[in-house]
Amino acid sequence: MERLLSKLLPLALYNELYSVCNFDELSEIRLRVDKPVFYAVNGKYKRLGDGTFRIGSTDVEQILSRATKSSLYAYNTTILDGFITYDGGIRIGITGEGVIKNGGLCAVKNITSLCIRIPHYIEIRDKRIDGIVKNFANTLIISKPGYGKTTLLRYMIKSLSEYGYNVLALDERGELSGISEGVQTIDLGECTDVALGIPKISAYASQVRSMRPDVIATDEIFGEKEIDCIADCVRCGVKVLATVHSDDLSNLKNSALYSRLLQHIRYVVTIIGIGNIDKVVDLKKPQL
Amino acid sequence: MLKLAIGGILCFICAYLGIVGKNYYDKRFKYLADFNDYLLALIDGISYSKDRLPEITKKYLTTSKKQFANDLSEYLRLIESGEGEDKIAKCFDCKYLKKGDKEYFKDFFLTLGKVDYDTQISRLNLSKAETQKMLTKAEKDCKTTGNLLSKLGLLLGIAIMIILA
Repeated sequence: MERLLSKLLPLALYNELYSVCNFDELSEIRLRVDKPVFYAVNGKYKRLGDGTFRIGSTDVEQILSRATKSSLYAYNTTILDGFITYDGGIRIGITGEGVIKNGGLCAVKNITSLCIRIPHYIEIRDKRIDGIVKNFANTLIISKPGYGKTTLLRYMIKSLSEYGYNVLALDERGELSGISEGVQTIDLGECTDVALGIPKISAYASQVRSMRPDVIATDEIFGEKEIDCIADCVRCGVKVLATVHSDDLSNLKNSALYSRLLQHIRYVVTIIGIGNIDKVVDLKKPQL
Repeated sequence: MLKLAIGGILCFICAYLGIVGKNYYDKRFKYLADFNDYLLALIDGISYSKDRLPEITKKYLTTSKKQFANDLSEYLRLIESGEGEDKIAKCFDCKYLKKGDKEYFKDFFLTLGKVDYDTQISRLNLSKAETQKMLTKAEKDCKTTGNLLSKLGLLLGIAIMIILA
C-alpha cells in the first residue's frame, strides 16, 4: 500500500503523511483545495500536522492524472458516478463542478475535493462470524461509513470461499477485489468469482444466471431496485452477503424500504470499528 | 593539382551539406507521419474500447522503432511513473522539428488524457485535421526545399571546383 500511495500522492503530501501515520492503519485521506488535509485511522479523523499544510488544484490534477494513468476519458462513467478506482482497490471519491447537457450530468470539472479510501484485509477472529460462515444464511453487515464494512465483507467472502461456497462478488467499483489491469490484488479466496465494473443491477440478473453462485456478495446496497434484485436472488435460492450504511438496526427496521430487505435477512452484524464486531443479531431469534 | 584537390573537398562538403538539408526535411516528414499514425491509433483505441493511454501507446510501439517511437517510449515511461509535466514537455524536443512543431507537440501531449471522453475525441479529431495540414506542408517542403537544397549543394560544389580549377 505504501508503494501505491507513493505513486499516487504528490511527494510533499506523501512525506507529511508518512511522518505522522502508519500506512497499514490508514483508511482514508480527505483532500480539499486550499484547506487542511484530514486522514482517518480506524474510522477516526485527524488533521494533518497543524493545519498549515494545504494542497492546491494542481495537486488534485496530478493525483487524478496518476490515478487514471493520464487517461481521464477512460473513467468518464465512473467520474459521473463520483469516483475513480486506482490500483490495489484504492477508491477515490471526487466532487467538483458538474457540467449539465440535455438535462443530465455529462462531466465534472474543476474538481475540488478528493476522498481517498484505502482498502484493508484483516483476519477477523470472532467466533460469531465463524459461526455464521460455517452455516451460512443471508447476512447483512451494517455500520456508519468508514467503520470497516467492506473489510469485514472481504474477510467473510474469503472465509466462505474456504468453506467451499462459490461466491460471486459484485465489485462495481473495483474496491472489493482491488483488481488492477486484470490482476486481483486482494485475495478473496479460491472459489470467488469477481464481476468487476459491471453495474450491480444488471449483474444480479446476468451474472447470477451465468455463474450460478451459492452466495452473492455485494457492498453498499442502495435503493429500491437493488433490494428488488436481492429479493429475486433469494427467491432463486442464492444466499446473500451484503453491507449497508446505517447507524443501527432500528433505523433499518423503521425504514419502509430497508425493512423489506430485512425480511430476507437472517443475520445482521453491526460493527464499531475496523475489525471490531459489536453485535450479531439473528433475526429469527431475539439475540445471539 | 592542389587547387583541384581543394575544389574536390569543397565540392564534397557542399554536396554533403545539401544532403543534410534534404535529410532534415525527410526526417521531419517521417516524424510527423509517425505522429499521424499514433494519432489514428489513439482515435481508434479511445473511440471504441476506451483503452488507456499506456495500453494504446504500448501497442503502437510494437509496430514502430523510429525516432518518434523513441520519444514516445520516454513519454510512456513518464506517464507510467507519474512524473512531472516539465519532463513530458521536453519529451518531443526533437532536432528535426521546427519551433512551431515542438510547441504543437508539447501542447498536445500535455493535455492528452486530461479531459472527459467527448472532449478528448473532439480534440483528437481537431489534432488529426491540423496534423494532416502539417503533413501536407512537410511533404511539399520535402519535395521542393529538400530536393532544391541537395541539388544546390552539389551545383555550388561543382561551381567552386570549376572556379578554383
